Amino acid sequence: MARAVAVAASPSASGAEVGSGVSAVPDELDEQTLVVRAQEGDARAFEQLARRHQDALYRLAVRVMGDRAEAEDALQEALLDAWRRIGRFRGESAFSTWMYRIVTNRCLGMLRKRRPVPVEEVDAAPAPAQDSPERAAERDAGMAALHRALAALPDDLRVCWVLREVEGQGYAEIAQITGATEDAVRGRIHRARTRLAEAMRSWR
Amino acid sequence: MALTPDPDGRLACGRDAAAVWDRAVAGEPADAHERGCPHCTAAAADARGLGALVQRLAQEDPEPPPSVLDRVMVAVRTELRPHDVLTLPSPHGPARLSRAAAAAVLRHTVDAMAGVRARSCRIEQADDTRSGDPGHAVDVRITVTARFGVDLASVTARVRQMVAAAGEQALGVPVRRVDIEVVDVFGDHW
Repeated sequence: MARAVAVAASPSASGAEVGSGVSAVPDELDEQTLVVRAQEGDARAFEQLARRHQDALYRLAVRVMGDRAEAEDALQEALLDAWRRIGRFRGESAFSTWMYRIVTNRCLGMLRKRRPVPVEEVDAAPAPAQDSPERAAERDAGMAALHRALAALPDDLRVCWVLREVEGQGYAEIAQITGATEDAVRGRIHRARTRLAEAMRSWR
Repeated sequence: MALTPDPDGRLACGRDAAAVWDRAVAGEPADAHERGCPHCTAAAADARGLGALVQRLAQEDPEPPPSVLDRVMVAVRTELRPHDVLTLPSPHGPARLSRAAAAAVLRHTVDAMAGVRARSCRIEQADDTRSGDPGHAVDVRITVTARFGVDLASVTARVRQMVAAAGEQALGVPVRRVDIEVVDVFGDHW
């Protein structure tokens, strides 16, 4: 394999320990192989898995926490949780579902400990403008309003809504991730949608 | 408003609210009931009204800074089980090698071969048959995935040979037994 692998540059890829000749795992390894290797204590395989999933996990955390710094903390703790618990992953669900569940639990735990934040202070994370300044401003104001409405949702509603609308997860997967029944998930997603629609109606 | 969802996500007309919403966002035409139903019409209008903004939100792709994974991997490497070791034969006192590192060496040996990839690699240090003390020889159980179409008999024979050689040369432990199981096949485009 001629393709370079990102982890080849990590500090521990060289060194004096026995096995210093071991380069990074090939980057086309299938997920199951990486999971088994990580379960047997292969840190490089775990790093590869984390690299593959971290963007999606971070997106979820950013949308659930409404704050990038907190989302970074949640992702970091969740990845460590995943390393510590990966031996207990039995493949009943997709690995991505299992990882979403760990991040979700971390986020909900952090939200429970968090002091209530005034809705106005929630990081609206404006997107870069793409068309005419007036139209962009209007659209960005709409995005800001949506971010605020999202932040104002109860946590369990927001988690389900983000998994569905941002991460594109199915209702059965969201039920596995949140530990709720599929009917409860459908109800939460609908309540979230309705509340967001109402908030956006009053904003318009 | 007309939207009064009950907890299991039914509209007042009895339709599954999520299904009505998903179909409206997907641009599917309303059926006969939905066209005449105020609850479905209101839900579909809300879905379409929010659709563009939600799509934009979903397309925003915040990426985690590299420092997050860097910090995680520093912590992971300090948490590697230091007590889980193999004992290496040495004339100047015992030497120990992390079992995970030894497994990584053997997997790498297999990965470097054409048409085969190592998955699980378990190394057990067998007790000395005469003294009953822990010996140095190891038994290796390895599972592999093989490229579709390779000659499995010859590839497993080569894996056995290479793993035994790597154990003895790269790790310095005699390999007593190598069990190989082919658990999956892969193709170039799978």
